[in-house]
Amino acid sequence: MINFQQVSKTYPGGHRALEKVNFHVKPGELAFLTGHSGAGKSTLLKLISLMERPSAGHVFINGVDLNAVKSRQIPYVRRDIGIIFQNHRLLERHTIFDNVALPLIIEGTHHKQIEKRVHGALDKVGLLDKVKCHPSTLSGGEQQRVGIARAIVNSPPLLLADEPTGNLDPELSMDILRLFEEFNNHGTTVLIATHDLGLISRMKYRSLTLKDGRMSQDPLAEATL
Amino acid sequence: MSLLFKGRKSQNERAKKSLFAAGYFFVLNIFRQGVHSLGEMWRTPMASMMTIAVLGLSLTLPATLYLVVKNVQQVSSGFEEAAEISLFVKESMSEQETQTLVKRLALYPEVDNVSFISKQNALIEFKQVSGFGQALEYLDSNPLPDVVIVTPTSRHRQPNAAQALLKKLEAEREVDFGKLDIAWLERLNALLSLLKESVITIALLLLTSVTLIIGNTIRLSIMDKKEEIQVMKLVGATNTFIHAPFLWTGIWYGIVGGLFAFICVALMMWWLGSAVSEVAGVYQTSFNLIGLSITEFGALVLLATSLGFIGSYLSVNRYIKEIEPDKV
Repeated sequence: MINFQQVSKTYPGGHRALEKVNFHVKPGELAFLTGHSGAGKSTLLKLISLMERPSAGHVFINGVDLNAVKSRQIPYVRRDIGIIFQNHRLLERHTIFDNVALPLIIEGTHHKQIEKRVHGALDKVGLLDKVKCHPSTLSGGEQQRVGIARAIVNSPPLLLADEPTGNLDPELSMDILRLFEEFNNHGTTVLIATHDLGLISRMKYRSLTLKDGRMSQDPLAEATL
Repeated sequence: MSLLFKGRKSQNERAKKSLFAAGYFFVLNIFRQGVHSLGEMWRTPMASMMTIAVLGLSLTLPATLYLVVKNVQQVSSGFEEAAEISLFVKESMSEQETQTLVKRLALYPEVDNVSFISKQNALIEFKQVSGFGQALEYLDSNPLPDVVIVTPTSRHRQPNAAQALLKKLEAEREVDFGKLDIAWLERLNALLSLLKESVITIALLLLTSVTLIIGNTIRLSIMDKKEEIQVMKLVGATNTFIHAPFLWTGIWYGIVGGLFAFICVALMMWWLGSAVSEVAGVYQTSFNLIGLSITEFGALVLLATSLGFIGSYLSVNRYIKEIEPDKV
């Protein structure tokens, strides 16, 4: 599903965020991406979501080389990827319903279908009773779940999450991870970037570790693969 | 169809819509965005009202000047209609020859009416009007010539056309010379032309500033929604999708601003109407100010809408593509 081949990324100014990174995440796999702050986790997710382009190497998603994707095609690539952000990035001026419905509205989905899908997604994350609320009235955990509902509402084959449990207590973190597990059980490929090693050890999934922009050895990789 | 996953269909594609239905929903979506942006304007009433007021008042000035030109033209057209050509008949011509000339002139396609004032009648009239009645008695002979008064058709009353007709009439064998008192009309037309040019210049300056004001308002709105735009781009919104609400906002500003300008102009005309009637009354005449016609009203609103669209398009095109999601 995700295939990095000799990927390097150097930002203007000379900061080298990634260096010759190679890894492969299979379709339907759930994997963690770990590493200390500044190790290159966010850059790696940016490359997958086409927020950045690699300085060298190739990123393949489902066999498609992202280097070949033209700028005007980027929105259509992003529609296949559900992204969950650490700081939720919800639209404060809109209701929870509108926030979750956004990817469907963008696709031009019929309003009846939108209603059905949004209610389904919110039901899955346990927030069906908050449809008419605004994000500011929800707790951090609830906002994160709204972000997840928005990411899965159009059933993307690939989910990316950047520190999804960053601001949550351990119990809520486990609830969120169980949600990812559930989506993964339905065939969605999930890549979670986190520095919470305790959480990773409890979940026993494959873990990719970045250190100073390089992919280091993964102790669980062999067993998982 | 998905770019990365062949065979994956969006919710929209899964619904298996016909081409007609897809088109219908596309148009419906555009109008929905229009209604939504109207709601957004409603949520920020003060800012919206101020922009609309600036737009409306900026359009009021050129629209009012336009009406001034239109009303002055209405007055001057009355003067133009009075334009007459006086042809002085040669002294050597007999009465029969003069009557033949009158009949011949009446056949000219450029001529609307011909009247003849004999030298005898002219002298009687002069005696009555001039106040030199007694003195004129001492003259040996009548010094005045026969005069033919020619009124051109409406198409030939403009200075240039009337001058051309005068030359043509002067070429007649019986005519000594002709006279067309048109200098004052030419001066009036020159002044009107200057006024028109000034209106166009002022209008261009104001319309440019209106476009820039709307562009700047939309730019501020874009900056205010920077975070939202980034999120939209991250979940797959195309630039067209993100542009639409801002373009609609510009269009709404234009429509409402145009209506506001029309109301201002109508109020001004109503206010000035009584004063103008009073002035006309002093000259023992009546004059009604002409306001904007339905077509002109439509043109004003269309112009305002176009300015709103252009201003917002310039901003949207310039700033939205610069906003890219910078962090995951």
